[in-house]
Amino acid sequence: MPCRRKTAPMHELSIAESVIDIAVRNCLASGHSVIGKISLSVGSASGVMPAALSFAFEAIKRDTIASGAVLCINTVPISGVCADCRGEFTSYEQYILFSCPKCNSAAITITGGFEMDMIELEVE
Amino acid sequence: MNIKVVSKILDANDRLAETNRRKLKAAGIYTINLMGAPGAGKTSLLECVLDTLKGSLRIGIIEGDIAGADDARRIALYNVPVVQINTGGACHLDANMIGEVLNELPLDEIDMLIIENVGNLVCPAEFSLGEDIKIMVSGVTEGHDKPGKYPLMFRQSNALILNKTDLLPYVNIDMGKFRSDALSLNPEIKIFEVSCKTRDGIGEFCQWLRLQR
Repeated sequence: MPCRRKTAPMHELSIAESVIDIAVRNCLASGHSVIGKISLSVGSASGVMPAALSFAFEAIKRDTIASGAVLCINTVPISGVCADCRGEFTSYEQYILFSCPKCNSAAITITGGFEMDMIELEVE
Repeated sequence: MNIKVVSKILDANDRLAETNRRKLKAAGIYTINLMGAPGAGKTSLLECVLDTLKGSLRIGIIEGDIAGADDARRIALYNVPVVQINTGGACHLDANMIGEVLNELPLDEIDMLIIENVGNLVCPAEFSLGEDIKIMVSGVTEGHDKPGKYPLMFRQSNALILNKTDLLPYVNIDMGKFRSDALSLNPEIKIFEVSCKTRDGIGEFCQWLRLQR
């Protein structure tokens, strides 16, 4: 029975590695060689803790062209619409995933807050 | 100089998951990502599924754990193809790990592949592996507050297995609240109440599972 050891880091560390990979690829593709700032958009329901992601980013940016880069995380609220009161709502709190904050109906559709995107890079 | 990127951060994992999905589809394999907290009964559920469906379906298993091969040893007793992945500290499986072990399974001899993820209610929900459906297991001993505390996993799962129902007389859990909170997060989620110990509810779940292919 085969048993394989795979080294993959913790959750936010995996995400920080992806952030650096994407940033480095885009920086080099634009003909530049140093990354000054990386801007991300992270949804409040994405499961990512911005503080843990920043910590992981600081730990692994050394020895990359992002070694001097600042990570800027823009937290995006959870947004949704209610089928009963037709209201639209936003919140940074996850309790909003259960029911409409205006009429308490559970007939809601969540329209945002799960994203984890890179938006912009500052390069030299 | 500023450059616009607009790229999903987990794009690399999603692309690898898509590669796995294509490979598994080409081999005619239906794939399940089985998730849940440590001790929820994921491996016990696998044992029940193997007992029930092994005669009618060729099942392969990938076991994901931080360390050790205890789960794979339990599964190997059923004489089905099994690979153990040790993540060495990582809290979840990712698409790359699955891609690397697919070749170690006899894909043309498997109808259904079940991947048991690392015991965790947070991180596995974010990393697609190339599965067709996600199933989560929660023991009634974990309490009815779990949907509220781990909404992402409940939103992403196609089925929720409430295990250890034989312990219901001994635990303080409001099953009605658990169900209604899970359903308000995910109206499509299919809920099964089972006991891997007494096998109550296992037949119904296995029948549903077989029809998903």
